[in-house]
Amino acid sequence: MQNPQSDHESTENGDSASPDDFFLPDFCNVRMVFAVILIAELLAIVLALAPMNTTSNRWEDLGVVSLFIQWVALISAGVLCIVRPWLRRLSVNIAATASYIVLIFTTTLVSEVTYWTLHWMTADPSVSMGWYGDFLLRNLAISAIVSAVALRYFYVQHQWAQNLEAKSQARIQALQSRIRPHFLFNSLNTIASLTRINPELAEEATEDLADLFRGTLADSSYEVRLKDEWELAKRYLHIEELRMGDRLKVQWNVDDLPENALIPQLTIQPLLENAIYHGIEHIRDGGTIVINGDLEKDIITITIINPMPEYTRPLERASNKMAQENIKQRLSALYGHQGRLLVTQTGTQYELTIRFPYVQERI
Amino acid sequence: MNILIADDEPLARSRLKRLVDESDNYQVVGEANDGKEVLLLCGKLNPDIVLMDIRMPDMDGLEAAYHLSHLENPPAIIFTTAFSEHALAAFSSNAVDYLLKPIRKDRLEEALKKARKVNRAQLLELGKNEETDHTRSHISAQISGNIHLVPIEEIYYFHAEQKYVTVRHKNGEVIIDEPLKSLEEEFGDRFLRIHRNALVSKSYLDSLEKQSSGQWMVKIRGVNEKLEVSRRHMTQVRKQLKQLKK
Repeated sequence: MQNPQSDHESTENGDSASPDDFFLPDFCNVRMVFAVILIAELLAIVLALAPMNTTSNRWEDLGVVSLFIQWVALISAGVLCIVRPWLRRLSVNIAATASYIVLIFTTTLVSEVTYWTLHWMTADPSVSMGWYGDFLLRNLAISAIVSAVALRYFYVQHQWAQNLEAKSQARIQALQSRIRPHFLFNSLNTIASLTRINPELAEEATEDLADLFRGTLADSSYEVRLKDEWELAKRYLHIEELRMGDRLKVQWNVDDLPENALIPQLTIQPLLENAIYHGIEHIRDGGTIVINGDLEKDIITITIINPMPEYTRPLERASNKMAQENIKQRLSALYGHQGRLLVTQTGTQYELTIRFPYVQERI
Repeated sequence: MNILIADDEPLARSRLKRLVDESDNYQVVGEANDGKEVLLLCGKLNPDIVLMDIRMPDMDGLEAAYHLSHLENPPAIIFTTAFSEHALAAFSSNAVDYLLKPIRKDRLEEALKKARKVNRAQLLELGKNEETDHTRSHISAQISGNIHLVPIEEIYYFHAEQKYVTVRHKNGEVIIDEPLKSLEEEFGDRFLRIHRNALVSKSYLDSLEKQSSGQWMVKIRGVNEKLEVSRRHMTQVRKQLKQLKK
């Protein structure tokens, strides 16, 4: 049986290619081309102003130097514009090296063309072989330094913009990650029902609900001890167990994890809520949520596995993504590329993994 | 008045049962865990009103209501939900009642008093609401007064003959009164049109075969009979078969 909704699906949420996740700007953009021209011209002015001997005509120098630098800059921009889609598929290091080579190569090319043009067109005796070596080396040295600075600048600028974006996203999504109203009202309904049948249990559920809400109202951009996060998750599951009866089973395999490790607040609970809301709740006989924890080479891995119904509606999957997206953003805002969230779905088994570095609580 | 309660949460059911029992004139005759059970119990118990949760496993309240509305003498339905969603906005405009959990006793009594039957037009209207995204998980057919359900994933094909559509599935076939066009719209991601008169499940599509007459037929896994493919739909069928092979 082939079910288009529950097809084997694997998404790596760690490095999805959104339009602007590459550090090199788009040189095909008109504004970028203008910026390139401007920066090239500024460099030309600096180079024209630099020589100490006042014998030569600075205006004339500026003209020649500008012409040369503009050629190099615009050709490089053109090449980078074309190869950008290809470069962004590579790792940052390789892409940076490739861009660097493009810049140096363009400089060499323009130098060669300039030299040979001068050599043939003007029979100027000063344009000799000795001059050639000096000319090429000087150009390459300047290009090597300026290119390195430019690439470094693009990289830092990009990191900064991404960081800013991640932080603001995390803040917005932290607000959205509050517990589902569905859960709140169902829990209140459970408590209302329990008050007559089992007042003690009703009391417990009220306490759990209060703790849970205190947890969700705290600023979720902070990290908390893993022990506290487990505690919150257990309070949540306790309420859900009351609500769903024996349809919900939970298996904890997290003894390998140090309790003093730090974790972004409210990471586990929303994921468990997803597992129930999109998984267990839709299955008549319920199922088991398995929570695995593992610590290896100072990286904490937590996996949450839950069964899925055979038939899911596309809309529900979209709302599932929102909570995941939020946690993914928060992980990457806190830990950079070391904070990851991965999802794999095989048939009716849904497996979500989060990974982040083991950081101990500072005492 | 006889009432059926449907909710997948035992505690929610027990509270609702208590509230109903406390009011005069109403008694709970049955409790269901999910939409399918509602349909089953409605056939057996003939309740006047169904108090039905919207979110339930297997078959949710909205779909169960849809199937119920095909009955000759359907019960009135009052939806219960923890949180009002888009779906319910559509309902309230159609004057179909719903109750928010935890349900208040006076609101319940009020709703029971004015309980009315949902008609098919209202449910169809709801189905059109894009945000509810309501594709059924089952096809229902009446067999001697009872609702017979066929899970979508067990259907091999729909075949139109004159006024009716035959649904061929794992355990036989049923006849329904729905145009192929609307079935195609609803289940377009699972079924492929191969002829003016037939929709075939993509997951059971097996292969193409040319008859000596020159007519192309499609073989379907699980059944012996072959279905005609019209020239107009050949390209689509070929494309689908190619995709399946990958």
